[in-house]
Amino acid sequence: MPGPSYPALTRRSFLLSSGTAVGVLALPKVLHGAEPVKPAVVALAFDGDVLLAAGSDLMRSDDGGSSWTALPVPAAVLALATHPERPGRIIAGLASGGIAFSNDEGRTWEARSHDLPEGEIAAVTVAAGQPEMIYAAVRGDGLWKSEDAGRSWSLAMDRPWLDEVERDLLTLASVDLATGMGGIWIYAGTEMGLTRVPDCFCRWQDVQPGNAMDALVSGDAPPSEAPLPAGQPIHALASAPSAPETLYAALPSGVWTSRDGGVVWSHLADGFASAVAVHPRNPDHIVAALDGGLKQSRDGGDTWSALAAI
Amino acid sequence: MKRRAIAFSGVAVASLVAIGAFAQQQGSGAPVDGVTFLGEPVTADELTLGQELYAANCASCHGANLEGQPDWKRRLESGRMPAPPHDETGHTWHHADGQLFTITKLGVGGVVPGYESDMPAFEGVLTDEEIRAVLAYIKSTWPDRQRAFQSDVTANDEDGS
Repeated sequence: MPGPSYPALTRRSFLLSSGTAVGVLALPKVLHGAEPVKPAVVALAFDGDVLLAAGSDLMRSDDGGSSWTALPVPAAVLALATHPERPGRIIAGLASGGIAFSNDEGRTWEARSHDLPEGEIAAVTVAAGQPEMIYAAVRGDGLWKSEDAGRSWSLAMDRPWLDEVERDLLTLASVDLATGMGGIWIYAGTEMGLTRVPDCFCRWQDVQPGNAMDALVSGDAPPSEAPLPAGQPIHALASAPSAPETLYAALPSGVWTSRDGGVVWSHLADGFASAVAVHPRNPDHIVAALDGGLKQSRDGGDTWSALAAI
Repeated sequence: MKRRAIAFSGVAVASLVAIGAFAQQQGSGAPVDGVTFLGEPVTADELTLGQELYAANCASCHGANLEGQPDWKRRLESGRMPAPPHDETGHTWHHADGQLFTITKLGVGGVVPGYESDMPAFEGVLTDEEIRAVLAYIKSTWPDRQRAFQSDVTANDEDGS
């Protein structure tokens, strides 16, 4: 793997990683290669203004990240999903396999795993325009979907084939941009970068500029692209519900953003990023897990401030 | 004649009428209700031709009854995907007429550059008219919901091009 700008192992991050070592052992989310920092937080989500952070525990903050309380999830959480039209509903992908589902802001939970195969749930997302439609990535298996809020599941698609190998999905984001096939896109991060599939599940494919095919046919110069760094895992993806062409990605090289649905990306913050989430109404309000801590930006990533340690 | 027998004979007469109407359509150049391709009407003759061409060129992979290959959502050892069904259980009805035509003529790489597929390009094997007939036949087998959905997708695709 080429050497991206991994952060040096600082004393603080060493202490943090030591302190969370037991939790990390219980959370076998594979963060490929010999990354120097084990993240404390592996998933973030907004439920309205409430912030959710999954690490060794699932925590919630009702005051913008100043204080945190633990939620009684049945097992370690690797992935989180919420939907603006279902306030108080939290869908959690479990390291032990299966989905935990809460309709009361995380106070009580039930399993919604019927028909799902065994294997850790590395990613979950809710369809942007269909709040009862949930997608889940089962490690070693593929992409599954539920049309009834997790009560029943069916295989949607095998895993994507990238660089001659089938790749696990590390993160999913329903992106409310039209595919031209009567639906929208599901973007996914893998250990080998970004891919996407239309929600009719015809095929995994690279993110292309909208007019790439026209250029191919006409022989014109292809539209400009600035992809994410090659060969780096994508730990988290978030599409702003209020501006779906605005995407954020968490990589070992930091937090990245695209304002055009994933064609042109720019770097927002240095550090080892393990999770990122965007506010449901404000596309410039983001929270990221960076180098084991949480940081927040309210201006699309231009400036950042630290949140309270969990 | 008992009521049950009357009911049976009523069904039989209705079936005969339907068969007669279908036979009348066969061999005619009359447009078939509810089936178009790229906005143009499709005739019964074209559907018959399309069915024959499908059996000869497509059915070996996509299934005699458009059912696709077994376990078609699971990748083959080669990394490529099996042939999907063309009936309502597949995703063909999510694609606009123009896309279906391009995929058939040029292969999947015609719509997703670089995509590797076991499906050959049919350019040079089937004429444009024959590809149109095959696709019209496939469309004619879909239930109303799928046909209406795909009609909208096609209309939006034409608007955008």
